[in-house]
Amino acid sequence: MRLGKQSRLGMGLFIVLLIGAMAPSSSARAQASATPEDWVKQLAGLDAAPDIEVAALRQQVLERVKSKADGVTLQRPPVATQLLKLPRFAVEIKFDEDSAVIRPESYRTLGRIADTLYDPALLAYKFLIVGHTVAAGRRESNLTLSQKRADAIRGALVTAFKISPKRLQGIGLGEEQLLDAAHPTAPINQQFEVATVGKAF
Amino acid sequence: MSPIRSILSIVLISAWSSASAETMKFEDAAGILGASCAKEIETNCRGVSLDPARLKDCLLRNQDSLSAQCRTDYVRAFDAIQKRLAARSAVAKICERDAVKLCGGIPKEGGQALECILTAARGVSARCNQAIGEAGYR
Repeated sequence: MRLGKQSRLGMGLFIVLLIGAMAPSSSARAQASATPEDWVKQLAGLDAAPDIEVAALRQQVLERVKSKADGVTLQRPPVATQLLKLPRFAVEIKFDEDSAVIRPESYRTLGRIADTLYDPALLAYKFLIVGHTVAAGRRESNLTLSQKRADAIRGALVTAFKISPKRLQGIGLGEEQLLDAAHPTAPINQQFEVATVGKAF
Repeated sequence: MSPIRSILSIVLISAWSSASAETMKFEDAAGILGASCAKEIETNCRGVSLDPARLKDCLLRNQDSLSAQCRTDYVRAFDAIQKRLAARSAVAKICERDAVKLCGGIPKEGGQALECILTAARGVSARCNQAIGEAGYR
């Protein structure tokens, strides 16, 4: 049976669309190809030690969530603008649903973060693991979950790869500092950030 | 070359190359574990995160239900992580003299002396160079 010109065109279009759908999004592609060397470059260049008190920052975020301030997601300003100035990179790490258990498909990424933090150029520095969630569900639960997940990443880096605990802190920002504020439920908002916060030694 | 001599040289070469081989990157070791044992971890070790002691214990307890691939690879992966950690902590000790001689300090946690040794064009001892290679710092 011979296909008509139109159906061949349709088939061609279908194949193009299928390939498009199968290709990972540009951000996922960028991450898959990011090497520890890329991340080392992104984490370098902290000018002066910024004044970041992680405990105080946690309190500040919690207070905003509890007071129900900035209720409209699309108009919510970032809660910790001081973090936006830090050298940092974002990374996708997969967890079991509503839990702080890291999924095996993300073990490789965790190893890559460890390789990065062991780079001689970064050994003198300390870092903040910043957890985020999409803006869906309860703000308070999102805050708690992102804190637990940031702590789980820190825990894995310390126990599995023996990164000094002095060099790592975790903070959860829930949906209070969306990575893509224009699209509050976009999956990119579930990514984590690793940021250089100062000298450890 | 007599057969005994050639066997001896093969043994020596392989011993030397295995002694100076770079240990596996954490990314690759962790990747092997995640790829080969994903199903097993999901089925048998629900709730266990990337914690070597707990994961190893769980996989060992469920040894009979693991795929052959996972059974070989989880041991290999944890072993590789351990080897790289050992190689990294060995650098501080083995390169101590080099650091004092070339960089005026000892290789402490901060990494400055290590960076100095890595950039030193000459004068680094063969042992220190080998330790740096094994640790994967180059």
